[in-house]
Amino acid sequence: MIELLGFQPGYMPNDELRFQFTIRDLDIESISAIEASVVWVTDGKGSEDLGVHYFQRLTGEAISGRDWSESQTLSTILPESPLSYEGRLLKIRWLIRVRIYLNDGNELVTQEPFSLGTKTS
Amino acid sequence: MKPFFRLYGKKRGHRLAGWWLAGRVGEAFWFATLFSVGVLTLSIVLGLQLFSPDTNAYRIGHGFWLLVLISSLFIGIGSVGFIYRVLSVAYSAEYRSAIANRGLIRKAERRTKGKAPPSAIPSLQAFTDSPGVRLSFRLPENRPETRQLVLASLFVLAWDALAVLITGFALGGLLRGKADWFLTLVAVPFFLYVGFRVSRWFFLEFRRATGIGPTTIEIDELPLIGGNEYHLSLVQYGKLAMKKLSITLVCEEVATYHFGTDTRTERHEVYRQPVLEQGRCRIDWGRPLELTCNFMLPKQLMHSFQSPHNSITWKFTVEGEASRWPLYCRSFPVVVYPTVSKASQPVEHLNRTAPPS
Repeated sequence: MIELLGFQPGYMPNDELRFQFTIRDLDIESISAIEASVVWVTDGKGSEDLGVHYFQRLTGEAISGRDWSESQTLSTILPESPLSYEGRLLKIRWLIRVRIYLNDGNELVTQEPFSLGTKTS
Repeated sequence: MKPFFRLYGKKRGHRLAGWWLAGRVGEAFWFATLFSVGVLTLSIVLGLQLFSPDTNAYRIGHGFWLLVLISSLFIGIGSVGFIYRVLSVAYSAEYRSAIANRGLIRKAERRTKGKAPPSAIPSLQAFTDSPGVRLSFRLPENRPETRQLVLASLFVLAWDALAVLITGFALGGLLRGKADWFLTLVAVPFFLYVGFRVSRWFFLEFRRATGIGPTTIEIDELPLIGGNEYHLSLVQYGKLAMKKLSITLVCEEVATYHFGTDTRTERHEVYRQPVLEQGRCRIDWGRPLELTCNFMLPKQLMHSFQSPHNSITWKFTVEGEASRWPLYCRSFPVVVYPTVSKASQPVEHLNRTAPPS
């Protein structure tokens, strides 16, 4: 189980985004990789676009050498753009996304939206 | 029931029809086959040429080079497609994006130094490389009709040349007493009639595009930032009796999407702000119409945004109505930045020219 903790629903540009995640009820030996990212995605009529602001991938010893039952804290300074947007043809959403790849080929994903800037429409 | 295997991933609205992995594997298999066919064909063609030249199976000539070209294309398309599909199965969208954007850290560093635009905002370079006469920057004009006019001129030239050629053949036949009646009675009138119509249409379009003189817009500051006031200058050249001229600041959402095998683009206007209105006036050669105005860009508006399939664009549109001319509309794109602290504003922002007194 992945749990995202300690972040607010709204941030302003250049704010520090600090978030935590914990992994519970999962055998660490069964994990092949963990990815944590802060991304923006477009939603709406157009094909989906994705921009990665922060990305971290852990594999091998970087996973086995940690106690994942404790909260893992990550932080990043948020950029000036793109700001969150709610339009008719286009929406821009910011997300914190954590992916866990298991040795059997499956993956677990959890993500939480947040807004950057004062939401415009 | 979802198919276990399919040749390509099929989208139905926002979701994929069937199991996404089956589609991806099918696509990877298709590109791998294309690559294999290319390698096999190229190996056979080159192998026979190198190791059994006596058999003369594929002589070096147009056919040989065509086979080499097609096989190379198969190899190129197959390998790129296969690698892309494998990456899309093996790695997450975020990881692929991070790999593709290797310069992410360097770009972020440049952004903080003010040399690169903020993330997902168009570069200012295209807007600031043309200094203005009255104010700091002369805005570039977006004229999609120029390309249409060039293509139309090529078509008209080719058609008229063909019509002249056919007419020449027909006249030559008549003078030699060997008239081709089909050519003379059907083909020549058809080609001359169509040639006359397309030439007339082209010259009317050309006159419309060039008859109304050029329009220039200059601005004192770029990029635009919500909450700031800007000074704008418009110059309209030509010899015109204007009934009305207006400048409007417009913001549009632009979305590009795939509909079957088509790629479509949809626009939606989300903001319109009248900037300047001018009533009746006369413009002569050497005495252009010069207008200046100030305008305030409201806060809480979305900044310019650019991604591969979606964008938010800002532009000034100049709409004019002149006697004996059709209505015309010209657009001048600009870039709007998000409202941020002064420290992170780009260098160009400091190059402010005082408005003319």
